[in-house]
Amino acid sequence: MNSRWPLRLTVAFSAGIATVALFVALFHTRPDAPTLTLGLLLLVGALLRSKVGPVRASLDYVVGIALFLLSGVAAAVVVSVLLPLTQDRRLPLMRRVFNGAMAVLCASAAGLVFLRAGGVQGKEVLESPGRAMFAATMAIITWLAVSAVLMCLVLWLDRGATSPLDFLRKVAAPTVLPMMGYGLLGVLLAVVWIGGLGIGAAILVVVPLLVARWTLSLYEAERNAQAATMRAFIQVIETKDLYTRGHSERVSEGVGMLGRHLKLSENRQQALEHAGLLHDVGKVGVPTNIIRKPGRLDASEMDAIRLHPARGVELIGNIPFLEEVKSAVLHHHEKFDGSGYPAGLSGQNIPYFARIIGIVDAFDSLTSTRSYRPARDIEETLQILLQDRYTHFDPHLVDAFVEVIRARGWVTVTDQPEPDSTVQAAIDHDDLSLGSGGGATGSAAGPGA
Amino acid sequence: MSEVVERRLGSGAVLILAGGVLGLAALIITVRRGVTEWPYALTFGILIAIGEMVQFRVDRSRNRAPIATSAALGYAVLRGPEVGIPPDVAQVIAVTGIATLAGVLPRVIAGMRWDIVVSCRRVLSVAGAAAVFSAVTPIDLYWTGSWRHALPLTGAMLLAVLGAATMDALIGAGQATEKFNQPFPAALRDEVVMAGRIGMAMGISGILLACGTSLLGLWGPPLVVVPLFLTQFAFRRFASAQRTYRTTVRSMARSTEIAGFSSPGQNARTAQLAVTLGHDLGLTPARMEALEYAALLSGVGQLALADPSPGGASLLRSRGERQQAAEIGASIIERSGVLDHVAEIVRHSNDPYRQGRANNSDIPVESGIVNVALAYEQLVGEGNGQSPEKAMESIGLGIGAEYDPVVVESLRRVIGRGFRF
Repeated sequence: MNSRWPLRLTVAFSAGIATVALFVALFHTRPDAPTLTLGLLLLVGALLRSKVGPVRASLDYVVGIALFLLSGVAAAVVVSVLLPLTQDRRLPLMRRVFNGAMAVLCASAAGLVFLRAGGVQGKEVLESPGRAMFAATMAIITWLAVSAVLMCLVLWLDRGATSPLDFLRKVAAPTVLPMMGYGLLGVLLAVVWIGGLGIGAAILVVVPLLVARWTLSLYEAERNAQAATMRAFIQVIETKDLYTRGHSERVSEGVGMLGRHLKLSENRQQALEHAGLLHDVGKVGVPTNIIRKPGRLDASEMDAIRLHPARGVELIGNIPFLEEVKSAVLHHHEKFDGSGYPAGLSGQNIPYFARIIGIVDAFDSLTSTRSYRPARDIEETLQILLQDRYTHFDPHLVDAFVEVIRARGWVTVTDQPEPDSTVQAAIDHDDLSLGSGGGATGSAAGPGA
Repeated sequence: MSEVVERRLGSGAVLILAGGVLGLAALIITVRRGVTEWPYALTFGILIAIGEMVQFRVDRSRNRAPIATSAALGYAVLRGPEVGIPPDVAQVIAVTGIATLAGVLPRVIAGMRWDIVVSCRRVLSVAGAAAVFSAVTPIDLYWTGSWRHALPLTGAMLLAVLGAATMDALIGAGQATEKFNQPFPAALRDEVVMAGRIGMAMGISGILLACGTSLLGLWGPPLVVVPLFLTQFAFRRFASAQRTYRTTVRSMARSTEIAGFSSPGQNARTAQLAVTLGHDLGLTPARMEALEYAALLSGVGQLALADPSPGGASLLRSRGERQQAAEIGASIIERSGVLDHVAEIVRHSNDPYRQGRANNSDIPVESGIVNVALAYEQLVGEGNGQSPEKAMESIGLGIGAEYDPVVVESLRRVIGRGFRF
């Protein structure tokens, strides 16, 4: 592959420099107690590798920082090469070589800065703590900066799924302050070691690091549990109607695609996906016989359907989501010309998320099978959406959505039942294909309502 | 959840009195002797006050202020060379007490959640740590850079922290027994487990804080406090994710009410009773959580049934129908992949005791608890209005056949203590 050679060259080049640095360091190192024990600790820590990235990485360089103060810069560089030895063997060779080179280069650069900043070592740390801490802080910053620059370089050359900007925004920026903070534990480790406790210092300092890691994994677990529970919850509500199965999850997926295209912040992106998942949750309050009723609904049944957004908000009102989630659930059946429900809002008065969900909701409904009609194909559906700009949908958002779907595609449902005239199934309240003129007047309640 | 018992003071008043008297005595002694090494007293006092100010609470457990705890423990075990005259026990108590009050006061003014009893407990256990440390450490032992001095010092610090943890666990268990009518050994077990995890982490942080400060002077505290703040920040994030998750489960439970399968508040009342029974039977915190969720979600399977029964009286349905709904509910809950234990409880929550738990020890006692809680709520809950005695009588008729005798006994105790919805 022709386009790979800049990447390979970079990896080879970094590996070369790293090897030179390593040899220089080897000549200046003698194996003392801190080097040996902390090297061992690093190996053990690497073997107990967990999935939580940031803090796991910090354990590595915390040891590096401690070694600067305990045994000198050269020892830290030598120990840093141990890390790549324990990498997962399933990773591609090039990745492993680069990770190893990166560890050595970070340690070397940070070490040089440490020396330039007047870093001290051994007993001197206790005599001039200010100098030691200043030098160590500079070393921490260098370590993180070099590692971020190298990551960006390789991501840029790789042209993979993650762009350097994404990396800086989503990984580097939120973790840089915690990483710097935890780096101070390296200084503490060195201080307590020199203070007379020796290897005992490592045992004590590992505790706060483990707690930090544990806390982060708790957070991840809780978030995953939350997502799984909401999905299960939604599936319960969809058991009421065979044909809408998976609808909420697909809408969540669709609004997620549109949200990323619109470059929402991380928080709002997540809120939007939650809102997409939960938009029809209020259907649980609509009597099953109305949801399953074949054919047209009379006025009172329509009213029952029209209640579902409010029911939904009633149900999720206590969950501490962003306020936008609740307003989106409440207003996802408003139309751009003001003919929707429950409030008859129009234009920009309709909450942003509600406008987004309205589009994807209609799109998924049209591209899925209903008992009374087969699924439409994607291009045809996009044309319907474009026709309904200004009447139903926010024109800018429709344009954006059409662009996203044309660029990224859409996975339609495959495991749905065939349309079957013998099945007694209701007309979907989201379906706008039934109005005259290809959905231009499509009613949320079904035909002609 | 437990408003019934929340406002009883009992041991709380004793703790406040003990903390107050101790603090006042320590303050008087310190004032008469004069404060030694005031920069350290001020630094640690500020740390304790800030830690107290940013205290937080994980759902249902008590308020925690890890930074305040670590700082106070650290202050109690300071030594030379940097700290020339280590603070004596009275000064440790006085500084901790004043700083604690200074930290709680802004919360009171700002109308945030505060709990002076928990703060008092902190002062008492720090006093314990200071007393242990000064008792086992000769005054001329300090950090010299040699392991001969460092090891005994660290040992003494560990002992002091352990003393504080033991004291706090005992007080905590006593309070839990009083508050939730939990059996004392079960409460003590929960407290010890908690002390082994969070308590140990706070203790070690305190020790590290003392080491760093004794060796580096005031350069030391940031080395420990900055990572501590970061971890506390991460923990608060977790706590808020957990709150979101719990309200999600509660909302999920309320869907049966909105669909008309159960009367408003029915799930919450059932869960309230189930939790009270669980406390009485001394379940571990993890099992209590699953029990609460199971009680909340026990009716969720009805959603798949065609139409709601009037008033949501699931007691009126046939047994077969109820068991079928429980089975459906369990499979729904199982689908989430994270609540398997809850699903297991719900699955058997409508099995009569004789055909279920009496012959199958795999069925958890929680299923029996949910079964009894459901039945009692049906009889006494809003709108049905039987008197507790009458309901107890009719449940007593089903003992051993329909209901687990152990649980019915527990229900009798709970009702006897005045439990009302």
